[in-house]
Amino acid sequence: MPNCLVIEDDAETRDYVCDGLRAAGYVVVAEANSRDGARRLLEAHWDVVVLDRMLPGQADGIGVLEQLRARGDDTPVLILSALNSVDERVRGLRAGSDDYLSKPFVMSELLARVENLCRRAAWSRDVSLLQVADMQLDLRAMRVTRHGHPIALQPREFRLLEYLMRHEGQIVTRTMLLEGVWEYHFDPQTNVIDVQISRLRGKIDKDFSPPLIHTVRGAGYVLSAAPADGQAAP
Amino acid sequence: MARPHPSRGHGRRGRLSLRGSIAARLAIGYGLLVAAAMAALSAIVYFGTVGVFERSIDNKILALQTRLAASSLDDGRGALVREIEAQLHDSVDSDTEILGLADAGGRLLAGNLAAWGGVPPLDDAGAGRLASASMARAGAPVSVRLAAVRLGDGSRLLVGRDLAELDAIRGVVERALLLSAAVSILLAFFGAQLFRARLEARIGAIRRTTARIAAGELSSRIGVHGEDEFARLGEDINRMLDRIEALMDGVRHVSNSIAHDLRTPLGRVRNRLDRALQAAVDPEALVADARLAIEDIDGLISLFDKLLQIAALEAGGRAGSMAPLDLAAIARDMTELYEVAAEEQGMTLAYDGAPATQVQGDRDLLANALASLIDNAIKYGRSGGRIDVGVRLQDGAAVLAVRDYGPGVPAVDMDKLTRRFYRVDHSRNLPGNGLGLAIVAAIVQLHGGTLALRDAGPGFEAAIRLPAER
Repeated sequence: MPNCLVIEDDAETRDYVCDGLRAAGYVVVAEANSRDGARRLLEAHWDVVVLDRMLPGQADGIGVLEQLRARGDDTPVLILSALNSVDERVRGLRAGSDDYLSKPFVMSELLARVENLCRRAAWSRDVSLLQVADMQLDLRAMRVTRHGHPIALQPREFRLLEYLMRHEGQIVTRTMLLEGVWEYHFDPQTNVIDVQISRLRGKIDKDFSPPLIHTVRGAGYVLSAAPADGQAAP
Repeated sequence: MARPHPSRGHGRRGRLSLRGSIAARLAIGYGLLVAAAMAALSAIVYFGTVGVFERSIDNKILALQTRLAASSLDDGRGALVREIEAQLHDSVDSDTEILGLADAGGRLLAGNLAAWGGVPPLDDAGAGRLASASMARAGAPVSVRLAAVRLGDGSRLLVGRDLAELDAIRGVVERALLLSAAVSILLAFFGAQLFRARLEARIGAIRRTTARIAAGELSSRIGVHGEDEFARLGEDINRMLDRIEALMDGVRHVSNSIAHDLRTPLGRVRNRLDRALQAAVDPEALVADARLAIEDIDGLISLFDKLLQIAALEAGGRAGSMAPLDLAAIARDMTELYEVAAEEQGMTLAYDGAPATQVQGDRDLLANALASLIDNAIKYGRSGGRIDVGVRLQDGAAVLAVRDYGPGVPAVDMDKLTRRFYRVDHSRNLPGNGLGLAIVAAIVQLHGGTLALRDAGPGFEAAIRLPAER
């Protein structure tokens, strides 16, 4: 069970985050200021840290993060911030955060990103062949097969599928897809990502069984051999 | 200038004291300047008239003394006595000349002195020395100018002049100067009053207007007459008021729109939850309703996010994330991203333009702006079946244009499109919140560019013009 440290001064947000993470199966410890947070970071190993950008105490969230990275500690850190601007995001990432989420946020987005950070080790592993159920994706040959049948994909569809397969069984949000596949960070206004997914689905799921891409209502998508709990039918 | 006093509140502060009035101070200061100029002028006039006269009298006295002393030296005392008598009877300045010759014993030998004893003691050793004195002449004391010298034979010669005439001239000049000083001080004082009345009348009009505005009458404006400084000040204030009124209208419009835009989805959420409670026996329906309610609330959150984004963009705190980038690459990426969505709507979306165009900007924001424009084109230009995206260099600027071939936008709406929450009538039934173009406009403004919206006949074109990077 992954353990997670939450450093957040606002009691309401802290409870909301902690409750959500606990419900998703994390072991959660919460601190309300940068001094206690920094001490906790020294005490134990954490699988993931959720860190508020603005904190009371000597250092703010960025300061805590910089100290952590200065020690050579690469614990995954997600910055939470009310400062909704790309500039702030860039500053957070530059200070060594692994992801950035601005308030207000929906729990599903936070959970998807925290889970993504916990599994980062798998993501960075150098592989040339990804496999989910009967689907294989060959990164070297740029080839996708299902049940041995080759499937023709556009380059971007290939990258989209690769991203989903690398995050197998894990919810990915629309914003995460836009960031991970198209490398743009903004809130896509309409269903532009949904349309891309539905096109991809038409190619990999339509003529095969079982369906691999599942829609998670109000959150995003998950690619897995079996639909997980709380997921709506595709 | 009266210092504003908090307890006095706004508006009526009464008539300013003479010291407190800038007009009075200006006028008095100006009056003092005039008085100083007058004083300088008076000094020049005084010394130019009275002074010259005095010097001329002194010269005449000395010249006569020299001549008489010389004649005594040449021809003896008898000649000197004759010379003095001749001088006193030549009817040239005879009534003002004072001459006297006395022997060593002080006995008068010649001249028009009553007695030597009446002559003030003079340092008669120094030829050329002059002294002012007062002496009795014809029974009255007069001021005189005198020079005395002891001659070789021990006798003493006195040459002088009666200054009655000079005193008269001096009196006239001094009276004239005093009078003009008094008149100039009076003029400065009354001028100050006049100045003050004029200035207060002009400023009063402005103050009455600002008082009306402070009282809430925002549409009040200052009457502008003529072209002087006050007219210009009035125009400037009126321009500022126009701007403030427009901003206030904007704020009112935005808050009204927020209230309106929140009512509908909040009502929907409320109804859903209400229904969910009634059907609480069916857990599946409860879950479904709760989900829909959350979706609606997410929509509201994203609406607020967008408003905050516009506010942040307009505050302009993003200059730090600007970097050189290829606008055409962003345009191609966004075209590719939206291609499938356009196809779903039976439209073709294509990029046609320069292969690479460097500008200074924020990659995510520019992509966001372009995504909004393409999104609009898909939503509102659907009937046209086609969308063109292009980047071109035009007169040193990079122009990113998105054009659809749909019904376009009525001319009356064109200028209002970038207003928050503004929606063209026939599009109200389509999903959207009227913030897309407001965000685009804010992004473009942050980049120092311009956003041009025009009817492309057929269709609608939005063009973002950014300074090109050299």
